[in-house]
Amino acid sequence: MIMLVILIPMIAGVLIPLIPFKKRTQMEVFLEGIVILNSLLVWYLLLHRTESIFTLANFTGNLSISFRADGMSMVFGGLVSALWPFATLYAFEYMTKEEHEKVFFMFYTMTYGVTLGISMAANLLTMYFFYELLTLVTVPLVMHTLTREAILASRKYLYYSLGGAAFAFIGLIFVIIYGTSTNFVFGGVLDSEKIGTRTNVLLLVYVIAFMGFGVKAALCPFNSWLPRAGVAPTPVTALLHAVAVVKSGAFAIIRLTYYSFGIEFVRGTWAQNVLMAIVLFTIIYGCSRALKETHLKRRLAYSTISNLSYILFGVVMMTPAGLVGALSHLVFHAVMKICSFFCAGAVMHQTDRVYVHELNGMGRKMPCVFGIFTVSSLGLMGVPGLAGFISKWNLAAAAVESGNRMAVVGIGCLLVSALLTAMYMLTIVIRGFFPENDFDMDTIKDVKDPDWKMLLPLFVFSFFIIAFGLDSSRIVEFFGNVAAGVY
Amino acid sequence: MRYIALSILFPIAAGVYLLVRKEPKNRKVLLAMTGVFLLLSAFWAALAICLGGKGMYTLFNLTDRLPILFKIDEVSILFSVLAAVIFLCAGSFSFVYMKHEQKEKRFYGYYLIVMGVFTALCFAGNLITFYLFFELLTLSSFPLVLHNGKKESVMAALKYLFYSLSGAYLSLFGLYFVEKYGNTLTFSAGGVISEQAAAGHGGILLVTAFFMLLGFGVKAGMFPMHSWLSTAHPAAPAPASAVLSAVIVKAGVLALVRVVFYSYGVSFLRGTWVQSAWLVLTLLTIFMGSMLACREPVLKKRLAFSTISQVSYILFGLAVMNGDSIAGGLFHVLCHGFVKAALFLCAGVIIYATGKTRVEELRGIGKEMPFTMCCYTVVSLGLIGIPPMGGFISKWYLAQGALSSGIRVIGWLGPVVLLISALLTAGYLLPISVHGFLPGEDYDYGKLQKKEPPLLMRVPILVLTVLSVAMGLLPGRVLDYLQQLMEKIV
Amino acid sequence: MDFVQNFPFFSIILSMLSGIISSVLPGKAAKWVNTAVIFISGVLSWVLLLYLMRKGESYTYMMGHFPAPWGNEIRAGVLEAGTALFFCIIMLLSLFGGRKKLEEEVDSEKHNLYYILMDLMLSSLLALVYTNDLFTAYVFVEINTIAACGLIMIRQNGRTIEAAVRYMIMSLLGSGLLLMGICMLYDLTGHLLMSNIHEQVKALASSGQYRTPLLVTIALMSVGLAIKSALFPFHAWLPDAYGYSTVSSAAVLSSLVSKGYIFLLMKIVYRVIGVTVFDDSRIIDVLFVFGLMGMIFGSLSAIRENDIRRMIAYSSVAQIGYIYMGIGMGTEAGMAASVFHILSHAATKSLLFVAAIGLTDVSKGSRKFIDLTGAAYRNKWAGVAFTVGSLSMVGVPLFSGFISKLLFAQAAVQNSGKMLPALIVLGISTILNAIYFMKTVIRIYTPVDSINNTADTAGDMVYAYKNRRSYTTALICFTILNVILGVSSQPVVDLIGQGLAMFS
Repeated sequence: MIMLVILIPMIAGVLIPLIPFKKRTQMEVFLEGIVILNSLLVWYLLLHRTESIFTLANFTGNLSISFRADGMSMVFGGLVSALWPFATLYAFEYMTKEEHEKVFFMFYTMTYGVTLGISMAANLLTMYFFYELLTLVTVPLVMHTLTREAILASRKYLYYSLGGAAFAFIGLIFVIIYGTSTNFVFGGVLDSEKIGTRTNVLLLVYVIAFMGFGVKAALCPFNSWLPRAGVAPTPVTALLHAVAVVKSGAFAIIRLTYYSFGIEFVRGTWAQNVLMAIVLFTIIYGCSRALKETHLKRRLAYSTISNLSYILFGVVMMTPAGLVGALSHLVFHAVMKICSFFCAGAVMHQTDRVYVHELNGMGRKMPCVFGIFTVSSLGLMGVPGLAGFISKWNLAAAAVESGNRMAVVGIGCLLVSALLTAMYMLTIVIRGFFPENDFDMDTIKDVKDPDWKMLLPLFVFSFFIIAFGLDSSRIVEFFGNVAAGVY
Repeated sequence: MRYIALSILFPIAAGVYLLVRKEPKNRKVLLAMTGVFLLLSAFWAALAICLGGKGMYTLFNLTDRLPILFKIDEVSILFSVLAAVIFLCAGSFSFVYMKHEQKEKRFYGYYLIVMGVFTALCFAGNLITFYLFFELLTLSSFPLVLHNGKKESVMAALKYLFYSLSGAYLSLFGLYFVEKYGNTLTFSAGGVISEQAAAGHGGILLVTAFFMLLGFGVKAGMFPMHSWLSTAHPAAPAPASAVLSAVIVKAGVLALVRVVFYSYGVSFLRGTWVQSAWLVLTLLTIFMGSMLACREPVLKKRLAFSTISQVSYILFGLAVMNGDSIAGGLFHVLCHGFVKAALFLCAGVIIYATGKTRVEELRGIGKEMPFTMCCYTVVSLGLIGIPPMGGFISKWYLAQGALSSGIRVIGWLGPVVLLISALLTAGYLLPISVHGFLPGEDYDYGKLQKKEPPLLMRVPILVLTVLSVAMGLLPGRVLDYLQQLMEKIV
Repeated sequence: MDFVQNFPFFSIILSMLSGIISSVLPGKAAKWVNTAVIFISGVLSWVLLLYLMRKGESYTYMMGHFPAPWGNEIRAGVLEAGTALFFCIIMLLSLFGGRKKLEEEVDSEKHNLYYILMDLMLSSLLALVYTNDLFTAYVFVEINTIAACGLIMIRQNGRTIEAAVRYMIMSLLGSGLLLMGICMLYDLTGHLLMSNIHEQVKALASSGQYRTPLLVTIALMSVGLAIKSALFPFHAWLPDAYGYSTVSSAAVLSSLVSKGYIFLLMKIVYRVIGVTVFDDSRIIDVLFVFGLMGMIFGSLSAIRENDIRRMIAYSSVAQIGYIYMGIGMGTEAGMAASVFHILSHAATKSLLFVAAIGLTDVSKGSRKFIDLTGAAYRNKWAGVAFTVGSLSMVGVPLFSGFISKLLFAQAAVQNSGKMLPALIVLGISTILNAIYFMKTVIRIYTPVDSINNTADTAGDMVYAYKNRRSYTTALICFTILNVILGVSSQPVVDLIGQGLAMFS
């Protein structure tokens, strides 16, 4: 069953260029059907999951490719499978302007399967395997437009990702050698007898592996691929570079920290301090760069960099409460960022404008898109009543509770970053809705909201931003259970 | 209960309705609608105050520990009454004034939303609710600042927005700690900090308290984050400036009241470095605001600097933390509110009728619009603190409180600064009246025209003037009311 | 004695004989003889492997039943048989893949010569693998060198001759050092048979006599073989030799010849000097450091390269660095990893060479990256195969490269002193590998028209390699081999462990 949900999208993806569709609509129906079906299967699977491990193949020794759905899988797999159908729907409309759609949809759908593979991997090796695979299937998506810029961006993406994986690999090796098994066990698998006096070496390796996976999570100084990769079509930037790929990095770090090395092992050591310093720096750095950036999608990408480090901030607190914060930001940020990216994409699709200063007065002509963009901006800022507030609240509350001095500084960073977020998001909103007096509205008189395929996902996402913001108790309680290792 | 919800949601809904509906064909329809909405909102607020009772009213829960709840207490009533009066006055003033501005519908829409949000702020029953509406207040009021769409206005609005947000985030920092170390987030007189939980964490709690003071102080124009105020308030249309200066800055004051007396508690903060630092900051602000106002040639900007200085009188009163001074501060909330609204409306009238904005252009203005300038002079005297005007009473209480507080240096330095600032206030407000009424020998009386504004503009100014005089003449009821309050919180 | 035990001897002699016969045969016949011989040798090794696995221990085979010191011995264990089988497979596939190019590049009257050299190469490789006699090993090292020179310069243009001369000089230097080492060893011990020397060396080491001469001997032999297998500072001959020779030669040279020498070195380490003695000498650290440097500098040179063949050649320098790093770790695990990497690199590198030729062929024969734009669309199979090879080199799971990386890293962790440098260099080298291989992959998958290149004249080009059955088959087989090594590596790793156990 687990294999099925991973394989269906991958196979369907490969089939797309092979099936001779008569009309585009047929392909759309086929693809959307597959994706929805798969998402339903995933949800069914996650809600009726069993504890059993499904082993596909054995590598050398006791290393195997195996799958299991646990609490973390429920969070990440559930998130991904909830977003994918909408993103696909959006992509149909968006891609009407681009070429080679079949190749695009092939890799796009395969990515779905690979991401699910990451979320349901039962051990570190399997996750690593899908993690590498994810890089490979997403590179063609980045270079989709095949412009020089896109190719350079995809190269950079590839080097960074593979390089990061190479260092994460070192962590994998140490877990193999010093752990009781590579399986994900809440609380870690390290064997203290085997470690003996080598604690510092292991901590160093933990830091290295953290940074390695951190490349995908755009941790400073390994973040420059993410804004560059923004040349990809918007459905890719939105779904992959705001959710699937970068969140895979964060997810991998959670697995590494909570399920392999174990928080008891790292908490209170120099490793925690170093990582927290890096994470906090990234939070501020991402925001400041976003503020400077005038290209809309790149600005959002920098914002993603900063927000991913919010998640990692929760992770490096190394407390269950921190993990709750991290998980809630993982989910909420996904919804908010995909929403704002889709808005940016809608603007690009309707007007071909990509720079912030070109957006004057757009709010008047595209009220739906810009209204929703405003909602997501406010959410990202963390205005109470929207999803972003809840996750920041959880993070900050966890930081206060952890009693770690760095974490208190971290709250400060979160707040500075919130201010910067307000600056770079609201300037766009203000431009959109309140153009200056001398702006001539006639220059954009033909602009209008896109059609329903684009708007539907937007409305759904903005609904969720508000819904999570207003009543989050149930989902946060669920995160709490996951973070306590109940699932 | 439902009146509270109604008094908050009705203006917001009405504002949103105005924003999204089509431009009405007839301006009168729009005005009529706005007028009705404003009156109804004030009516609901009054009902909520009269019938709302003392209970808590939970709207919904953000999370298990974070309910959005409302509660009406004395402080709420004080501020919401002020807000209702000034919103009504400035609203009716704007019906005429806004004729020469564009996009009236948008202005009224946001105006109503701000009114609803401010009411909610007054009624907020816990810190998180307060914080929510504090943010919303910023977000809904900045469109008023950028209303005329000029580049300077947009920049001013952005400055306002970012200063306010940074203030909000600073205070959010403290909020996390209050949540952790307090028994509850719900406001309760005397503070909520739990001694058990806070034991050993006093240092960090004081730091967070200071952050909250600084953060919410931004909205009140407290040094060092004051510079947005003198940029943003003058950039808005006159009625909006009146509301911003007289009411919105009071949101900062309200916030500090809530933080100091209802969250941390006087007993926790009194005598600590936070109090000293805060006192120093307020005195600095008082002095600096007045000085800057003296040097400022543009009338509305001068008034804005005056606001910076005057609001810090209130904050000074709060910072001294004894009954008299706090009562004086809260009394000054009302005085300054009425006076400053009146002053801004006067400035608006001048701009409306003559287009003049700079002080030196106003020679002989008293001859052209005697009514306006009379009112201006009367309320100016109130602000300076000439007995028997309201300003005198508040300053009397402030000084008395400071002298009896027993705080070293500040105890006597405070009143001295107040006195100097009063002189400066006279120095920046009265020359306008003097030159207005007595333009001097070389003034060309031939060009003189009567430029008195229409009735709809005069009435609000008159009302506000009368109110501010009344504050001075009949302070008893209000002071009694405040004394009762003092017993609870000090 | 079972009949099967004769097989090593048979396969060596068979390939030598076929070389001799081929000299009088026309090119085409020589080709078939060669193919047949490789195939037969492969089958023989296969049978031998099965036999040994069942038997569970190695055996020594005296040639003509003469005992030492006059006689000559062959020794076969699981590792030897497995390696021989693997070498045969790779050689066969490389020849298949490069056959068309060979016909194009080499004069037709030279074809039989080429196959003679191939036969000799095979026999010398097999002999290196099986022999138990140090002097025999030296003789076949020389034969190997000569054959390799011939293979390099068979194209007979300026570059290849120059390359061959360079190769010969360096190689002879290496052989010379090896020979000196062998002589000194003979002086010290009085034996040439490996097992006899081994005992004597053990005795010498424990008695503490002749410490310095022994060290010098080890150094001479290690450095000699290191030069011949192009370990980092001695690799100058390699890019030209691999880069300009005809494709089958390049594939065979890079994946087999250098590996033959490394195999011989391992043999010397295990069976002549003895692991403990070797570990005690400093030479092992030198090899380790050179290995690490090779991993970095080889890759750096590869990144700078603008010619696909030379890039792959430089990548070999890096990969040989990996192998020496494994040997240099001085542990069983490190050695096992090295052996696995010998196999996986052989499978991958020849795949890359063969795939690259398919790509250059559809790009007007140019090997410059700029001309390779979009080549993967013009020759789909070559594109896929090249991608597979690249991914394997980078160490992506599912392919053989990942397993060797895994084994190296695991081995590194067990050696506390060398752990950090090894792991860090492993990480860096992975990134460098990713840089140049992925750059190429992206390049070949970039359609021409998008890069505003000169107009695509592909329409009137002759696609020599497109749809050639032998070529495609070779590619597919290589790919499958790679994936097999990557996915079900456990039997191979077990086999290596078993072989190493039999080795000493």
